[in-house]
Amino acid sequence: MLREAACGFGFLGLAGLLAEQSELYGASANPLAPRPPHFEPKAKRVIFLFMHGGPSSVDILDPKPRLFQDHGKPLPIKRPLAFDKKPPGPLMKPLWEFRPGGESGIPVSDLFPHVRDRADDLCVIRSMVGEGVDHGAALLQTFTGTSTFTRPSMGSWVLYGLGTDNQDLPGYIMIKPTLAHGGSLTWSSAFLPGAYQGTAVGHAGLKVEDVKDEPIEYLIQKGFTPEQQRYELEMLQAVNRRHAARRGHDPQLEARIQAFELAFRMQTVAPEAFEVGKESEATKKLYGLDEEVTSDFGWQCLLARRLAERGVRYIQCTHSYKWDQHTDLFEKHTKNAREVDKPIAGLLTDLKATGLLKDTLVIWMGEFGRTPVSQAGNGRDHNPYGYSIWMAGGGVKPGFLYGATDEIGYHSVEDRMHIHDFHATVLHLMGLDHKKLTYRYSGRDFRLTDVAGEVATKIMA
Amino acid sequence: MKRRLVSPLRGHSSAELGFSFSRRACTLLLACFLPASHSLARAAAPGEFFEKKIRPIFADNCQGCHNPELKTGGLDLSTPEGFANGSRSGPIVSGDNPENSRLLSVIGYEEKLKMPPRMKLSDPQIAALREWVMAGAPWPGAEVTSPATVAEQQAETEELLFTEDQRNFWAFQPVDDPAPPEVQTESWIQSPIDRFVLARLEQEGLAPASPADRPTLLRRATFDLTGLPPMEEEIARFVADDSPDAFDRVVTRLLGSPRYGERWGRHWLDVARYADSTGNDEDHRYPHAWRYRDYVIAAFNEDTPYDQFVREQIAGDLLPSGGPDGVNRRGIVATGFLALGPKALAQQDKDKMLYDVYDEQMDVVTKAFMGLTVTCARCHDHKFDPILTKDYYSLAGIFASTKSFRLPRTFVSKPWVTPLAPEEEYQRYLQHRDDIAAKKFEIVDMVSEHVERHNRRLVGKLAKYMLAARRVYHDGAVLGDLAVEERLDKDVLGRWVSYLSPQTDDTRLHLSDWQSAPEETLPEVALAYHAGFEELACEWRETMRRWRKAVKKAVKRKNMPPPDRPKFDAEEDPFFYDVNFSERGPFALSEEEQDAVIPPPTGAVVAGLRQELKLLEETLPREPDLASSVAEGDLVEQKVFIRGDHHNPGESVSRGFPTILGGRDEPPITESSGRLALAQWLTRDDHPLTARVMVNRIWHWHFGEGLVRSPNNFGKLGERPTHPALLDYLAERFVDGGWSIKKMHRLLMLSSTYRMSSEAAADSLGKDPENKLLTRFERRRLNVEAIRDGLLALDGSLDLEMGGTLQFGYGTDRENSNDRLSMNPEKVDRRLVYLPLRRANLPTLLNLFDFGDATTTTGKRSGTNVAPQALFMMNSDFVATRARNLARTLLDDGSTGNAQRLERAYLITLNRRAESYEIESGLAYLDRLGSEPAASMEDLDAWQSLCRVLMASNEFIYLE
Repeated sequence: MLREAACGFGFLGLAGLLAEQSELYGASANPLAPRPPHFEPKAKRVIFLFMHGGPSSVDILDPKPRLFQDHGKPLPIKRPLAFDKKPPGPLMKPLWEFRPGGESGIPVSDLFPHVRDRADDLCVIRSMVGEGVDHGAALLQTFTGTSTFTRPSMGSWVLYGLGTDNQDLPGYIMIKPTLAHGGSLTWSSAFLPGAYQGTAVGHAGLKVEDVKDEPIEYLIQKGFTPEQQRYELEMLQAVNRRHAARRGHDPQLEARIQAFELAFRMQTVAPEAFEVGKESEATKKLYGLDEEVTSDFGWQCLLARRLAERGVRYIQCTHSYKWDQHTDLFEKHTKNAREVDKPIAGLLTDLKATGLLKDTLVIWMGEFGRTPVSQAGNGRDHNPYGYSIWMAGGGVKPGFLYGATDEIGYHSVEDRMHIHDFHATVLHLMGLDHKKLTYRYSGRDFRLTDVAGEVATKIMA
Repeated sequence: MKRRLVSPLRGHSSAELGFSFSRRACTLLLACFLPASHSLARAAAPGEFFEKKIRPIFADNCQGCHNPELKTGGLDLSTPEGFANGSRSGPIVSGDNPENSRLLSVIGYEEKLKMPPRMKLSDPQIAALREWVMAGAPWPGAEVTSPATVAEQQAETEELLFTEDQRNFWAFQPVDDPAPPEVQTESWIQSPIDRFVLARLEQEGLAPASPADRPTLLRRATFDLTGLPPMEEEIARFVADDSPDAFDRVVTRLLGSPRYGERWGRHWLDVARYADSTGNDEDHRYPHAWRYRDYVIAAFNEDTPYDQFVREQIAGDLLPSGGPDGVNRRGIVATGFLALGPKALAQQDKDKMLYDVYDEQMDVVTKAFMGLTVTCARCHDHKFDPILTKDYYSLAGIFASTKSFRLPRTFVSKPWVTPLAPEEEYQRYLQHRDDIAAKKFEIVDMVSEHVERHNRRLVGKLAKYMLAARRVYHDGAVLGDLAVEERLDKDVLGRWVSYLSPQTDDTRLHLSDWQSAPEETLPEVALAYHAGFEELACEWRETMRRWRKAVKKAVKRKNMPPPDRPKFDAEEDPFFYDVNFSERGPFALSEEEQDAVIPPPTGAVVAGLRQELKLLEETLPREPDLASSVAEGDLVEQKVFIRGDHHNPGESVSRGFPTILGGRDEPPITESSGRLALAQWLTRDDHPLTARVMVNRIWHWHFGEGLVRSPNNFGKLGERPTHPALLDYLAERFVDGGWSIKKMHRLLMLSSTYRMSSEAAADSLGKDPENKLLTRFERRRLNVEAIRDGLLALDGSLDLEMGGTLQFGYGTDRENSNDRLSMNPEKVDRRLVYLPLRRANLPTLLNLFDFGDATTTTGKRSGTNVAPQALFMMNSDFVATRARNLARTLLDDGSTGNAQRLERAYLITLNRRAESYEIESGLAYLDRLGSEPAASMEDLDAWQSLCRVLMASNEFIYLE
């Protein structure tokens, strides 16, 4: 007769026993166990704010006087490979005023007044370079380093390198990610073990309402009460342990027994992390949850903070697929920026107030910028040759401007930061040497930065 | 002879002269990393230094603009002459004073002119250039080399191309035919393969595991060959069957089951990186992919000889058809192997896109059939294996001379499809379809002119209509009278009245300005509505005009489906949408109403055209079936791309196969792409890799690990065979046996090796922890198909219909629409192999259980254990439903008691009899669930819980 099955709530004891056993089998039992970085990290986690579609750098972070002077004049250089097949339109001046923000005086346009108030937290990089002129290629390269092959995403590499601190939550969470332009390939673990792939919370096509009740698939038991499920799991573990005992405690059988323990804990603990509604009214207001226009991205940002403070290693908020203004730049960028500006500023304010910003690297970027020339009279085409992003917290210089584009904002010319360099830099901030973070697959050692990548040491605080 | 291409540089100014401001993107990123070197330029091989360090810098960073065509700033950096001539402002390297060469100051970003403009070269690159300039800037290409000399040099160096070790590497040696060795324990031998295994064990002083018990063996063989659990009655029959050939008959039965092809076909689909969409950027559907999948399943079920299977997948379209109409349907479909890879259709650098596709095709061909990683040689000679860059491009020439696209250079490229019908029949069909499109267009063109004129007249009176309508619904004016009085169309006005009348709980925000306007401002408000509407109407007319133009163009060009009629987005302007397009919208016109506004003579013509259209539509033949495939293309003189950069072609290479495998001894390929020759070369009986690689895969899928534990990599960085003689023995038997895969299954499965238990004999586990000596049958987790299909089989829900497609539609979908997701395997009951896969968004379940990513060939899946998998077992509706259904089946049998029900539950889920203590603890569990207050479950719930325990158990998910 099975005494352990009869004793009711034996879970904690069992978990302890299993933890001991797992030590016998070494770290291999849990691929997500925290691992030491290569060197002292500046950031422990990442919050990536992805502006899908390609926000226009010359209208947001990279003011170019020459565009005002030469507004309406033809492009003075040969146009590089473009997405638009028609001849380029004339130079088009920025559609918004730029004003200095904070004490650092970093210019940010009127599109982002709230973020501008946080200018002293920002490290603006104006010299990003990618290779894809179409969204798919650009997204894949932004997230995986290449658009040609399926490769692990940056978050997967980070998780592979560092593991995660909170075993009750996934270590790499994509909040409402896009399904387009690579879709889940942008958070895939590719040839890295599956445990390192991102866990999606809904997708960009869903409303927060559709997502929040079961943020992660299979997380919620719907048929049985927790007490009833407890009985079942105890029975299952008893059956499994007896099975394992008769097979000389094969480590893979033990690992699966442990996986059920972990799953049960996750199911008990994780939902609370997603209960954004429990935040105070003041906090919700800070993120714009009280206004319809900002409520979606505000929810994402506030959830990101909740996950960050619970030790999730890598979190992405996604504003998809909004920023692709080949036409109607003024109307649509205005609307887009309104949806994210306040939530982002709220996130920065909140992270700073709670002290999390010190070791949380916040990254704001799109897959590329937009051309200084107009398209269809009132829009701009894709520009991967020189665009702006910003980082904050996590060991980057606050209130700092890095790199520059040419006079018209088309090409990056100074302190050029290719996506490989960007990846090398982010890994460096996380305490990982991008040249050492390798994985042997198909007879070769792979890394996020392939055979390139230089760390931008100038931006380190 | 080295010419010194240096002249003195006189007085360089800082004015913009010489180099131009280049913006051309020309870097291939793989090429950028060049470690610094401080000795090579002056060393014995300056030519090598130039080729390795200097030429790539020029190629990657400069020649985009400084080439013979553009010659930006007068400078051409692609030839020694161009370099010697310098830029418009003179030579760029100073012979007398090399340190002050313009080249160095410009690349050093020391003056106003900075080159390359987009990014300063890396320090090692600058150092290399400096070293080169200081050494006199020797450019070895200045000597003209005749083709004859090249050939001579090649012949001379062939021997030197590869090291002794490379040439003697095991995988490149001819397959041996070893005799099965003698062993001490003859009684253990049931198959020749046992001799190889046991001889090795005896050598190590180890004993094999004891035989697995009958139920275990049956479960193993059934899952192994069909991916499904054995049925209750099969277990009973096998356990009771004492005849010596009982297991033999089980294997025969399973190999004859159609389920076999579904299981083993799926194994091959892993190798073929099969999926139903292009993945990558836009993830367009491959609507015909399923035909290839069905071909693979059928090929396994029919035991198609493997050599034929290989030939068909590479060049099936070129094999004789045997049919009366000369169309080799099977062969064409089989080339889906090449056609169904991931593709970046929206990549705008179309040459890059094409060569990425060829690269992908080469990768799958070389790994799948030869276990070789050839594609590393795209940018440089393979670092570890003897594959030369030239070999890469020789092979690339074959794929570059093959068509993989119908329209390679459209904005979104269109992959190739072949009709599975005679070409004339397909052309007739296309012609007929074009005729329909043309007829439709003729009608639209004729009607739209009049409809537009009518609409324009109505729009001109919009404000008037609104005001009049209000007088009817608000002030009680009589509609008919008012229409006459205001000279408005009575019917239209009627519709305005019903549209504008306030509704209870009116949610039409776009009408609130109108409805809340004070009386005196109404005319003004009406005019505002009018103005906005008129502007949109104007834009919309333009949209429609452009559409008609595009249709006209498509109709003229033929063979191009005309674009769909644009639809106005209701969200953009609900008012405009309602009025123009909603049903009974004030200005909307049904087809009959449209006819009414056409003047009678035209009306008659339109009616005639409609009649003709009807006839055309009725007589349209069925569209011939299509297949995603490849076809012979224009023959390409393939060049080596320096450092993999297609913008930077080097010397030409002939089409052919890898040198180390004797590729250069083959007859030259001149008249065709070489695909057929490649297929034939790969399937020669004496090819050292093809048979070895496949028997190893078969071994791997049976035993969980191959004899070579890296099934896709037989190269230097792959694993060495644990039993080399056995591998060769199997390869020989495979070829001897007519490349029959089913014979191979029998050879392997009817052995003692296959029938061992998973419990190692004493000592063996310690001495053979990784089971490399085959001391036991490796316990392994079921793959996702077996878990999911197996669970569906347990409760009797599995739908065994074979073949066909579950995917509908073409192209891709709106960003972030649910249609971008793959079909959810938890919501369909067909076998998983039949569910279409969208590469960019695979189902959660597949990601969870290590399916892989379906974008590169997979030789080996992993079998991880992570918490999210446990959550699936605990909480998914899918498993809950399976458990509940099974519970119901058990309970429905009223003739038995709970103990017998438990017996049956064990038999169905774990395929063995329950032990008595298991019955006891099961009964106790059911009892507790019913009686303890915290649980207090009904019978069905309790049984569901118990069934789920068995389904989620380690014993279910681990195959022994």
